[in-house]
Amino acid sequence: MKKVITVCPYCGSGCKINLLVEGNKIVGAEGANGVTNEGELCLKGYYGWDFLNDTKLLTPRLTKPMIRRQRGADFEAVSWDEAIDFAATRLKAIKAAHGPDSIMVTGSSRGTGNESNYIAQKFARAVIGTNNIDCCARVCHGPSVAGLMVTLGNGAMSNSINEIEDTKCILVFGYNAADSHPIVARRIIKAKEKGAKIIVCDPRYIETARLADLYLPLKNGTNMALVNAFANVLINENLYKPDFVAQYAEGFEEYKAAVAKYTPEYTAEITGLDPQLVRDAMRMYAGAPTATILWGMGVTQWGQAVDVVKGLSSLATITGNLGRPNVGVGPVRGQNNVQGACDMGALPNTLPGYYPVTDAAAREKFAKAWGVPSIPAEKGFGITEVPHKIHEGKLKAYYIFGEDPLQTDPDLGMLREAFSKLDLIIVQDIFMTKTAMMADVIFPATSWGEHENVFSSADRGFQRCYKAVDAKGDVKDDWEIHSLMATAMGYPMKYNNAQEIWDELRNLCHLYTGATYEKMADLGYVQWPCETEDHPGTPWLYKGNKFDTPSGKALLFGTEWRPPLEKVDADYPLGLCTVREVGHYSCRSMTGNCTALQTLADEPGYVQIHPDDAKTYGVKDQALVWVSSRRGKVITRANHNDRVNKGAVYMTYQWWIGACNELTVDHLDPISKTPEYKFSAVKVEAIADQAWAEKYVQTEYSKMKAGMRKAAMAG
Amino acid sequence: MNRFVIAEASKCIGCRTCEIACAMAHPAGGNADALTPRTFAPRLTVVRSGTITTPILCRQCDDAPCVRACPSGAIVYAQDSVQVLQERCVGCKTCVVACPYGAMTVVTTPAAAASDSVLASRKTKSEAQKCDLCIDRAEGPACIPSCPTKALHLIDKDRMAATLRKRQAQAALDLAAGVQF
Repeated sequence: MKKVITVCPYCGSGCKINLLVEGNKIVGAEGANGVTNEGELCLKGYYGWDFLNDTKLLTPRLTKPMIRRQRGADFEAVSWDEAIDFAATRLKAIKAAHGPDSIMVTGSSRGTGNESNYIAQKFARAVIGTNNIDCCARVCHGPSVAGLMVTLGNGAMSNSINEIEDTKCILVFGYNAADSHPIVARRIIKAKEKGAKIIVCDPRYIETARLADLYLPLKNGTNMALVNAFANVLINENLYKPDFVAQYAEGFEEYKAAVAKYTPEYTAEITGLDPQLVRDAMRMYAGAPTATILWGMGVTQWGQAVDVVKGLSSLATITGNLGRPNVGVGPVRGQNNVQGACDMGALPNTLPGYYPVTDAAAREKFAKAWGVPSIPAEKGFGITEVPHKIHEGKLKAYYIFGEDPLQTDPDLGMLREAFSKLDLIIVQDIFMTKTAMMADVIFPATSWGEHENVFSSADRGFQRCYKAVDAKGDVKDDWEIHSLMATAMGYPMKYNNAQEIWDELRNLCHLYTGATYEKMADLGYVQWPCETEDHPGTPWLYKGNKFDTPSGKALLFGTEWRPPLEKVDADYPLGLCTVREVGHYSCRSMTGNCTALQTLADEPGYVQIHPDDAKTYGVKDQALVWVSSRRGKVITRANHNDRVNKGAVYMTYQWWIGACNELTVDHLDPISKTPEYKFSAVKVEAIADQAWAEKYVQTEYSKMKAGMRKAAMAG
Repeated sequence: MNRFVIAEASKCIGCRTCEIACAMAHPAGGNADALTPRTFAPRLTVVRSGTITTPILCRQCDDAPCVRACPSGAIVYAQDSVQVLQERCVGCKTCVVACPYGAMTVVTTPAAAASDSVLASRKTKSEAQKCDLCIDRAEGPACIPSCPTKALHLIDKDRMAATLRKRQAQAALDLAAGVQF
């Protein structure tokens, strides 16, 4: 038996794992002594690898290229040559007829790695000639990237995951570490044991609220009002650091004016919070010698998200909690490599290394390196704009790489309808998914564990994953598939291995130049910026309080609070908020095929509802219920839960039957284009005939599984 | 004193890694690859109520209600713990009712029929299941190392004595701080 070092493919904590391999089969996993996990793993790390053995519990692995000659026809297994030719011919024709910007490409924030994301964006920019490349950062921490880029100059965690345990105060805002990142939750517990004060702002009584010194159960959709009130208290009670502000920040007068009316008394009605609690929270935060803000989807998945990120950044700035160890701003990235996909330029507005596409010198550098006359200067489309651009007739083809938007994007009914209008859908994945079922071409790829690559963890740490087993079936590495497509479209592209790609990109991006494969060997951890090979990497940013903004100063920001788009009313009286299931990941194509994880939690999932609301709507605990919004209706199981607030219900987003994204609203933050997953008006209705409902769930689930199996096994 | 596994509720994040570790250490039929919802039977349960989250499992009582209640002598004291002799269990559930911690469950699975006769009655095998401290596992209880926050501990005589000494020393210090009448 051999041990192969890898990085967990499930969240951004960057846990190092030893995969135990016998012959060509993985037989177990144990925690390796990585920088962030120190030998610990959670359930997904320990029990999340057996999908590689093609268990077919949920869906089968894709093992051969497939095409569909006509919409609605069955898939047909073909050779790689035929599949590439089929896809490239059609893509070229679309480009010729409608221009490069009629094609949308995705990166993948999941198990594919940084090298393949670099190649995907190179394919978009150099081969197709468009900035229409995006990844699922758009639906998660896109606002953190957009907000922090403006206020501080880098869209990532300013400090490291392991510094969390040595901070003296943690302000947890809209972030449920226990379900999203158990290994980060572990650091919060250690911080508490070392004497840190914990402040939690969340409408649900989450696990971290149990250890909190102060718990602020704000009303759903009132983040900006609370962040403004925090700023108001810091300024009016002179809790902030005027010297730090004077030397290292800008925009203070505008900031002060913007938050002036947001006294805790004024915001009490909006947030539902006692003014004294708000004041106490800021006295605690500002009074700590070191303080860290952690946030998650509770901040970013709103129609007003970028503004709140900027507001949180401003709290850290005016209290001097930046530019040193154990402080800072921490948007903890959800998917294992969403940081990496952003680092690699799988974004419509930045090239690899975060050079804006509007930067002429950077464009020239990349164009020269890639051997093309120019790179487009206009920002491309985000993935959440796709359905609208299809309806406007601007998008004709969608090349989806390692993502399942027909499970994870909002308002699925609307999205399916838009997809049906596309001329060409290419899906490159490891499993049959709901999105792949609508494809015209399917490219089967190697999985995490079957190729080597680099991931970026949430705190900017580059780490290597080694190959554990050979893939079965006629599959190829993602970057090789993109290279074949590029070559077929008239741009010869060839690499021999992932390291060649890595070396190309690190030499183009000054932030990553010093992060060599050698330095990342085994348990190596290199945090960008790392500009030279003798540099060890950067655990915390903004040394000397020099920010990476054009002026070198941190920008302060406050603005008016905007309520959520949808309002609850007599027909739809509850606010639906979508949340995470600890044992499942993303669209569930991986964890749903893992024996233990699938056994622990399976369809149709739950709607968490306060017992008082459940009583009002006549819903029994554990009974199957209908949940509906103005957009759709799904069946799920009721979970009476006194940790959730009245008036709101919560569902996790990876189920097919209890698919909450059939219900969510397609309302986007104006800057980051991130959907308001956290608030859709819904109603919950009891089902009288439970036996019928149980049978319905099982029948529909079996039907979906059988359909996908049949499609994936096409001859 | 019987040994037992207990959790520090303040460290538990409700991730249920211990439940899977337990179920994998006690696979029905001995095959963890064949785990299904029917054979997934962890012997500890993560309880999440209003303000507490913690795994609940057998306390290995020194004067155990389950041992006293069992009519078939299936539950015994062995290796500083309470163990179930499955060949004696009749699935009567008296132990389930007796246990104050809700730590015992009776799991009934179909057994192979004794004959092919159409008159053969339904054959089942029942097992009273609870934490057995992974008594046959050389590394000890599987749940403990799996916990990412290290909330689970094995308490034996020595560990209990050390904890008592620590508490007593602290109590003495508190008294030294000045008790006055």
